[in-house]
Amino acid sequence: MRTTTRALSAALAASALLLAACGRGGPGGGDAKISGDKIVLAVLNDQSGVYADLSGKNSVEAVKMAVADFKAKYGDKAVSSNIEVISADHQNKPDIANSKAQELYDRQQADVILDVPTSSAALAVANVAKAKKKLYVNIGAATTELTGKQCNKYTFHYAYDTYMLAHGTGSAVTKQGGKKWYIVYPDYAFGQDMQKSFTAAIGASGGTVIAKDPTPFPNDNFSTFLLKAPSLKPKPDVLGTMQAGGDLVNLVKQYNEFKLRDQGIKLSVGLMFITDIHSLGPDAFAGTTFTDAWYWNFDDRNRQWADRFTAKTQTRPSFAHAANYSAAMQYLEAVQRAGTDASDDVVSELEGYQYDDMFARNATIRAQDHRVIHDVYLAEVKPKSEVTTDWDYEKILRTIPAAEAFRPASAGGCSLS
Amino acid sequence: MIRMLLRHTEPASRPVRSLLLATGLLLALALPWLIYPPVAMDIATWALFAAALDLLLGYTGLLSFGHAAFWGTAAYTAGLIAIHSGLPFPVAVLGGAALAAALAVPIGYLCVRNAGIYFAMVTLAFAQMIYFVANQWRDLTGGENGLQGIPRELFGLDLSDPFVFYYAGLPIVLFGLFCLWRIVHSPFGHVLVAIRDNPARAQAIGYPVERYKLLAFVLSAALSGLAGGLFAISHGFASLQEVYWTTSGKAVMMVVLGGIGTLWGSALGAALVVQLEDYLSTSGFDGIGLVTGTVFVLVVLLFRQGLWGAARQVAAAVRARRAPRPPTPAPRAPAEPMPAPSTLPR
Amino acid sequence: MSNFLQQCFNGLVSGSFYALLALGLAVIFGMLGVVNFAHGALYMLGAFGAYVLLVEAGVPFWGALVVVPAALFVVGVVLERTLIRRLTPLDPVYNFLLTFGLTLVLQDAVKREYGVQSQPYPRPAELSGSVSLGLFDYPAYQVFVLAVSVLLCAAVWVVLNRTRVGMVVRAATERPELTRALGVNVGRWVTPVFGFGVALAGLAGVLAAPMRAVNPLMGADLIIAVFAVVVIGGLGSVFGSVLAGFAIGLLQALGNLYVPALSQTLIFIIMAGVLLWRPAGLFGREEART
Repeated sequence: MRTTTRALSAALAASALLLAACGRGGPGGGDAKISGDKIVLAVLNDQSGVYADLSGKNSVEAVKMAVADFKAKYGDKAVSSNIEVISADHQNKPDIANSKAQELYDRQQADVILDVPTSSAALAVANVAKAKKKLYVNIGAATTELTGKQCNKYTFHYAYDTYMLAHGTGSAVTKQGGKKWYIVYPDYAFGQDMQKSFTAAIGASGGTVIAKDPTPFPNDNFSTFLLKAPSLKPKPDVLGTMQAGGDLVNLVKQYNEFKLRDQGIKLSVGLMFITDIHSLGPDAFAGTTFTDAWYWNFDDRNRQWADRFTAKTQTRPSFAHAANYSAAMQYLEAVQRAGTDASDDVVSELEGYQYDDMFARNATIRAQDHRVIHDVYLAEVKPKSEVTTDWDYEKILRTIPAAEAFRPASAGGCSLS
Repeated sequence: MIRMLLRHTEPASRPVRSLLLATGLLLALALPWLIYPPVAMDIATWALFAAALDLLLGYTGLLSFGHAAFWGTAAYTAGLIAIHSGLPFPVAVLGGAALAAALAVPIGYLCVRNAGIYFAMVTLAFAQMIYFVANQWRDLTGGENGLQGIPRELFGLDLSDPFVFYYAGLPIVLFGLFCLWRIVHSPFGHVLVAIRDNPARAQAIGYPVERYKLLAFVLSAALSGLAGGLFAISHGFASLQEVYWTTSGKAVMMVVLGGIGTLWGSALGAALVVQLEDYLSTSGFDGIGLVTGTVFVLVVLLFRQGLWGAARQVAAAVRARRAPRPPTPAPRAPAEPMPAPSTLPR
Repeated sequence: MSNFLQQCFNGLVSGSFYALLALGLAVIFGMLGVVNFAHGALYMLGAFGAYVLLVEAGVPFWGALVVVPAALFVVGVVLERTLIRRLTPLDPVYNFLLTFGLTLVLQDAVKREYGVQSQPYPRPAELSGSVSLGLFDYPAYQVFVLAVSVLLCAAVWVVLNRTRVGMVVRAATERPELTRALGVNVGRWVTPVFGFGVALAGLAGVLAAPMRAVNPLMGADLIIAVFAVVVIGGLGSVFGSVLAGFAIGLLQALGNLYVPALSQTLIFIIMAGVLLWRPAGLFGREEART
């Protein structure tokens, strides 16, 4: 114990000294075009919790790849050769995210913060970005609030959101013939939002929601709802579930137990990541449809990048890794075009910008609400028998064009000013 | 009960106490110069929370494992008041504390009828209920998005700089700690200690034990609420994290680490845990539970008097050595066992 | 009607887990006066034990059902001997705190090894179908879980009531001072009983693996619900804990059906009601509380 305490106090004393040494000055160098003579990209995300596999430390690697590619592309013409990547773990705690974000902007001179999964943490950091007038590109969080009522001039939302997930799956599956739906959703904000978007999308595509039920959260017994499904009149074609994480795993296990697929009821999932399929194995989810923001094995462009990523990290990239790469790259490109890292100039470079990169196809950074819209994909999980290589889990059924995939800018209630 | 840790060190002499108080105040004032101001503010708010919890654990002998209910309720309440009324933030914080106290009345009424370990389990369960309510009551709490964008209003002053805000919030923390100090040293506080040490005797003398416990519970909840409300204002949001059981656990950890029954120890424990979390978030080491859990287990096993308690014992040993009397044997002597508390007839 | 009955069945299956965990908590509390916060983490360890055996050694479910509880019995014995024992003479609050710390360590250790993602665990092939229960079909595995836990609880009841060991344990649980005063050597049963309680948690974990998500946090929220169950049943009462376990499972399932808004808080509302009416729990005695 004594040694632990000593080590602890030594660590504390050291960190206190270090912080004191940093002084309380803001970012220096007023006239320089690049503040502090360097560009600092900070990745603030979950490196140990639920989102660690989806994004985590490997997203930091992805951002480093972007920096290296940017330097290679521009050589001496780059706006600055001094580009740094730093990172911090917010442990999915919004208070830590909030303090760390302030510290990253103030003390570590971060010019942009990337990623930030967990919606409460994501929104807290958005408020910091707004107060500090510094850029923030959210990738990991799903809440549409970031580009809705809580949007602000310095916050961008990059990869996906609840609307895109629900709308994409709801309309695409309905168009493919799944007309009658039974929806179960966890009874909290995320689930309720997803349910609303789903219902709207299904209705707009000519389908009907026969019944919808809120479920407790967290929950490990979904048999009530699974038993109800086949007894509904008329019998639904699709069971739409908005559960996530461990609850989704429970639900899928029980869906298979009650053999609903054999009874003609397919499963569609609101929020699913490739890491979920990987951890449980494709057979658990085989035949399930969901919307993915990006899939590594979609085409050669993706595969090439994925191979480079795999060489560094020994794992296949999720959409979040690719999005972190892409967001970092687009940020640096904007700085290059603006010739400065001053926030307001970079924001005006980003707003309305149209591009097409490895991650974001047919992309536009919407000026009205800072939602980055791009093509997304309706995917089906392959059965194990069709899986040919590691992580080859998805069959892309349909590309959902950027304009259809995301919530219209006018619908979110965002006013930037 | 917890008492065995407490009575073995003589209270420090008056000049020592004044010196301690002066040092403590100075440190509180200098904190944002030494460490990053938002972290300093966290230390201050958690210190108040831990000290308020210690009023129950250390001075009343009740382990509450559900104080997040009060901290979190106050955080949401203070946030809602600040957002919707535009009143100065101390009013919002006081409003949060008031609601936390109000919530503590029914919960406390049900909990204080049970003592010991039962009390810990029941408080934990009630806090979980508050968590589920907060999660479902989305219109009010924002669900898992949290209640965001809480302003810091104070007569039009610009408090956006966390360095400035620290000094605006510190008086609230000091006020809370002063309240605790007064409670502990009041006749009421002495009755609490008597109840902690021997509830049956206190009852026999004629004190309405349950009513005293309930009052202590409500006071502790109110002061936890004061801390929780300030926490929400300082971060600009309140989230479900604030009502989750891990928050209760974190506060308990601070109290035990610093030393049960020592208000100074709670502050020390808060400083350590907050700094440790902050340090681990950029260290690249992802086993925060492993570190805090191990430290905690070791403290409970070997170091039950906590850091402050240990410091007090050392101080007492030094004093004893200086004194003409033969020195007392060793600083570790007191903390050891007492037979299991017999199940007293009620 | 059949929907109602199916729902009751669901409730009893959930209740099986409450009952097995509450039973372990109750016997441990009875013998040692310790409330084991780590019970949920040990349940998680049981599920991971089954997973690791399957993946690393190819041991199927049936093997795990025997090996894992045995291994956790040993874990329990070691825990009791090395850690818990040091604190049992003190206020039980210290062991509560100790096991809370252990929970953090266990959760994080498993998380560092296997990540937070849920791990796959298939249902045993023998139990993959469904069984007809007259009015409706029900997954065979769930029927098996219910049967195992009912049988186990019944077996424990028989042991407690019909054997000498049981008498000692029961006496020590219900009247600790009196038992010691009568010269019964309670001490020699302390370690095995703790081990047994932990083994029960492990067994519940193995049973959970094929039907629930296997991840490091699977026990964290469950344990709080089990605490509420034990408070409702009466901490000192083995019978009360088991009965409350099944009853709460049942009520929660019916709550899901009729008042979904309350399904999460129902258990705590019942707890509040019970505390108001009988502070020591439905089957508890006054003394157990202090």
